[in-house]
Amino acid sequence: MSIALKAENINKFFLVPDKFQALSDVSFEINKGEFVSITGKSGSGKSTLLYVLSTMDTDYTGTLMLNDQKITGNKQNSLAAFRNQHLGFVFQFHYLLPDFSCLKNVMIPAMRLGKLKQDEIEYNAHEKLKMLGVGEQALKPASKISGGQQQRVAIARALINEPAILMGDEPTGNLDSKNTAVVFEIFQQLAREHNKTIITVTHDNDFAEKSDRIIEMRDGKIIGLA
Amino acid sequence: MKSGINTEVAFTYMVGRRKQTIVAALGVTFGISMFIFLNSLITGTNEYTEKTMLSATPHIRLYNDNRISDHVMLDRYMGNKTINLISNPQLVPDDNKIINPDVVLQQLQKRKEIISMSKQVSTNIIYSNSNVEENGNIFGVNILEQDKMFDITSSMITGDVRSLINKPNGIIIGVGLAERLNLKKGDNITVTSTTASRTLEVTGIFKTTIKTVDNTKTYCNIPVVQQLLQKDRSYITDIYINIKNYYNAPATAESIQQETGYTVETWQSSNEQSLAGKKIRDVIANSVVITILIVAGFGIYNILNMVIYEKIKEIAILKAVGFQGRHVISIFVLQALFIGIIGSILGMIVGWGISYSVSKMYIGLGNVTYLPIAFEPRHYIQGAVFGVITSFLAGYIPAIRASKVDPVQIIRG
Repeated sequence: MSIALKAENINKFFLVPDKFQALSDVSFEINKGEFVSITGKSGSGKSTLLYVLSTMDTDYTGTLMLNDQKITGNKQNSLAAFRNQHLGFVFQFHYLLPDFSCLKNVMIPAMRLGKLKQDEIEYNAHEKLKMLGVGEQALKPASKISGGQQQRVAIARALINEPAILMGDEPTGNLDSKNTAVVFEIFQQLAREHNKTIITVTHDNDFAEKSDRIIEMRDGKIIGLA
Repeated sequence: MKSGINTEVAFTYMVGRRKQTIVAALGVTFGISMFIFLNSLITGTNEYTEKTMLSATPHIRLYNDNRISDHVMLDRYMGNKTINLISNPQLVPDDNKIINPDVVLQQLQKRKEIISMSKQVSTNIIYSNSNVEENGNIFGVNILEQDKMFDITSSMITGDVRSLINKPNGIIIGVGLAERLNLKKGDNITVTSTTASRTLEVTGIFKTTIKTVDNTKTYCNIPVVQQLLQKDRSYITDIYINIKNYYNAPATAESIQQETGYTVETWQSSNEQSLAGKKIRDVIANSVVITILIVAGFGIYNILNMVIYEKIKEIAILKAVGFQGRHVISIFVLQALFIGIIGSILGMIVGWGISYSVSKMYIGLGNVTYLPIAFEPRHYIQGAVFGVITSFLAGYIPAIRASKVDPVQIIRG
């Protein structure tokens, strides 16, 4: 199996308010098509790790490889382009743009990428929304649908450019158990059927238990690679 | 289309804040319309005063001035062995005539920039009809040359300038003088100089609306003035010169002065007060306009700052899903430019409206009937360009701030 993500000796310090080592010598690999949960208590460094993996945080030492590309040391602009094409994000809060319709929200990353024509993008966005069961909501403003639906639209947005890796920061943290189950199903399906690599940070132990693998963290270190 | 999405996001943000967008655009509209109006008024006034000046002053006047005595001759006589100084130098009285004026004219004819020339001989004179007397200046001219230069024909209310050609004893007088001396076309008028007196026949009356000119200035044939001064037939005191671009007068004047050796005066130096007035008007107008534009710019700046503050999370998300710094900048600069363009277009329309209505305002003082307003496309284009540039700058500064948003900080809270 080929490797989707490889982290080597990742160290990160916060200097404000005091010098504090958030990550120390974190090294691990994730295979393509794996569904991995990163768990740990608050302050264990799991979200910090996710933001390093997401390429948004560049203030660390060590080496990060995504899709066999070395990410460490790249400039902000090329990282943005990389995220656009290869990474999808789902956050705890949906962070949809409330001024736009759900459909438009999903289309925006694809329009940024600019590889397909407008009508193709629109078709794909409709397909993604249908796949996630929110096809009916496509033309409603993003602010006018329920929380579970918003999160599904956010997942559709994360998937529009067919990224190899999907990252979630507490993607179910703000959802009830029913919607949590739905989101889990979706993630599992994406990993099994579409061979997407999924990395989520979660508090929810049930959610983590059901995923392929758990990376447990404490005090900035990995204590279990179950 | 890669930039399409930036435009779309920019538009959606603006439409979402319709009121603020309109207020910002109106700020630009106000600035641009004032810019256009003030510039039209100032240019109109300047053109008007220039026209007035040039209706009586040639672009360049060439004459023979009295010279102050210098040590050139003394140096030639004494040689270089001594240093020669003249204490209390005096003006050397001269005949003040241009020697061999036709040669000078021929010489000047070779210059391509000169469009017309007119030689003159003028003097102070007393006009009289029966016992009433008036002071003034009589100008002996070749009336055709003079007409080409000052377009006297257009100001004639009675008679024709050509009448002077057929009547050696003819005189064209101003409407003010005609009233004061109760003269009509065909009447006789006596002109008296310090040395001689002659009776001339009024062949035409002009009205320039400039009071001093209408009251004092008259035209007659050159020999008449030469006789009044008891001078010979080659006695010419001035050559008036008009050139293609009268703003180049100083440069042309200098080269003519070097070539001919006579004193040369430009219309600018003989109308310095008026030109100073023009400068002051320009400064006032520009400072008002710049102030207005800056205020309008602050309006745009403020609104975009607010939008960015409100949308900071969304900016972070856009960056997370792959928008680069320059994309974020273009989103906000596009908004600013849109506001600027809408504001400028409205500003051009409103500016024209204000200018047009003010140009219909009756003044009726002296020779100013209506406010002089210039309608020049240049002002409208400049106004629009300034408006768009101001908007661009006002948008660019907050946009830079937006582009530097760190998505990690915002998303983690």
